Amino acid sequence: MNAAIVGLGMTELGKVYGRSPRRLAADAVRLAAADAGLAPGDLDGLLVSHGMGGSPGIELADTLGLRDLRLLAQIDAFGATAGAMVSYAAMSVLSGSASTVACVFADAPLKPERPSGSAYDRDAREWYGFGGMTAALGLRSVNSYYALAAQRHMARYGTTGEQLGAIAVSTRDWASRNPLAQMRDPITLDDHQNSRWVSEPLHLLDCCLVSNGAIAVIVTGADRARDLARPPVHLWGWGQGHPGHRKERGSDFGLTTGAAASGAAAMKMAGITVSDVDVCELYDCYTYTVLVSLEDYGFCAKGEGGAFAASGALGPGGSLPTNTGGGQLSAYYMWGMTPLSEAVIQARGDGGERQAPSTGVILVSGNGGILDHHSTLVVSPHAKGA
Amino acid sequence: MHIGVLRRDGRTDPFFDGTAAGRLVVRRCATCDRWLAPDASACPGCGDEDPGWAEASGEATLVTWTIVHRPEEPPACLALVELAEGPWLHARLDGVDRDDLREGLPLRAAFVHPDEGESYVLFRPAAPWTECRSVV
Repeated sequence: MNAAIVGLGMTELGKVYGRSPRRLAADAVRLAAADAGLAPGDLDGLLVSHGMGGSPGIELADTLGLRDLRLLAQIDAFGATAGAMVSYAAMSVLSGSASTVACVFADAPLKPERPSGSAYDRDAREWYGFGGMTAALGLRSVNSYYALAAQRHMARYGTTGEQLGAIAVSTRDWASRNPLAQMRDPITLDDHQNSRWVSEPLHLLDCCLVSNGAIAVIVTGADRARDLARPPVHLWGWGQGHPGHRKERGSDFGLTTGAAASGAAAMKMAGITVSDVDVCELYDCYTYTVLVSLEDYGFCAKGEGGAFAASGALGPGGSLPTNTGGGQLSAYYMWGMTPLSEAVIQARGDGGERQAPSTGVILVSGNGGILDHHSTLVVSPHAKGA
Repeated sequence: MHIGVLRRDGRTDPFFDGTAAGRLVVRRCATCDRWLAPDASACPGCGDEDPGWAEASGEATLVTWTIVHRPEEPPACLALVELAEGPWLHARLDGVDRDDLREGLPLRAAFVHPDEGESYVLFRPAAPWTECRSVV
């Protein structure tokens, strides 16, 4: 037996104010259950994850009025969480420890009248300890840590800012076809190059959005999935990679990521190679994250991600449609639920103007920390081996 | 350069005693004969959560860098530097021309003693440079 995603629930995403992360999460679970043709009471498993706000936790079960759950946990692997949650849900279903598991992420870091970047930034007059010293000296934002990684890749392999820009442009091209996307106006490479510096080599248009909202999926066994409301999205394989880069001589930080091990494991389980992948939905907190993930998965050789991105392969009409909903860069930033939700939409054929021509095998990535944690899912509209 | 005021937090006394005296003091696990960054939470060799401290040479090379742009502040060059002893530090560079930034650029620790708060360390190009910028 295989496991499948049978429900997708998405709240309004973006500048959604007035609802707590817990309320948003509950709404997303209800929407996902309804999408599957289930009632919340049909769930016997719930996996919960949160963003920067630290909520919701497992009290979400009470909020939803769920009773007699056989699986309930809060899962946290930072940006790799969504893929990890779905794999744990699938393993629970396959082992028989639960039959129908909701996996949800919610966050509400945006506040009215505050710039979106401040949600992930730090400022203070007094700073404590080493962390405080590093921030005081100027490393106050995740943007700068990813900039250090991107710059190392550029120095080592000759990757250029224009190549990063090609990812921003192709992703926005996809977003312009997605009614759910927050940023839909097409951009050019000049727009990217002229957008303000955030932390060189990253421009503003190399960086993801910040969004409020919640997304949930429902995982169950493929046998049960056949009788539900929507076509199942089958889970063919999963993997994780946590390289544990040490901050010392010899570290591969910025050059290779956990995608290498995670992707190899997921594709082996799925019984596929990269040449079988029709569509990629990659965690794109930064354009650079997409570039290095494509290399580590093996879609191109190490160091050639820039040329690959600039070839036009990733955009509409390209050979490897990637981030077909506009990703975190242009659509919505729901951590690993951004690529996962778009994978479900594509696998169902619900992509409308952005529907990829072929969706037999879709690869979904998650990335957390500063390239510290990675998860991969391989999903398909078809049953594995069918 | 205005960075705010640095304070100790209970895990940093040997480090800030060092910067006050113009010395770069980092972690060193005697059991494993291994140098560690000053902010290492434990020795990855033996798991000791309070490895010892030792003075590093202050010599380093540049691993990677970013120029941080913030509203109403001049751009600042932040970096990962590799100490000659092996550990990496997140650090701020000073007195470096952006055209000279490259992997492996030799650097040397320099210490700043503000009127208020703890002294701290910056890294400057180790090669002689003509313009000696003042550090404020």
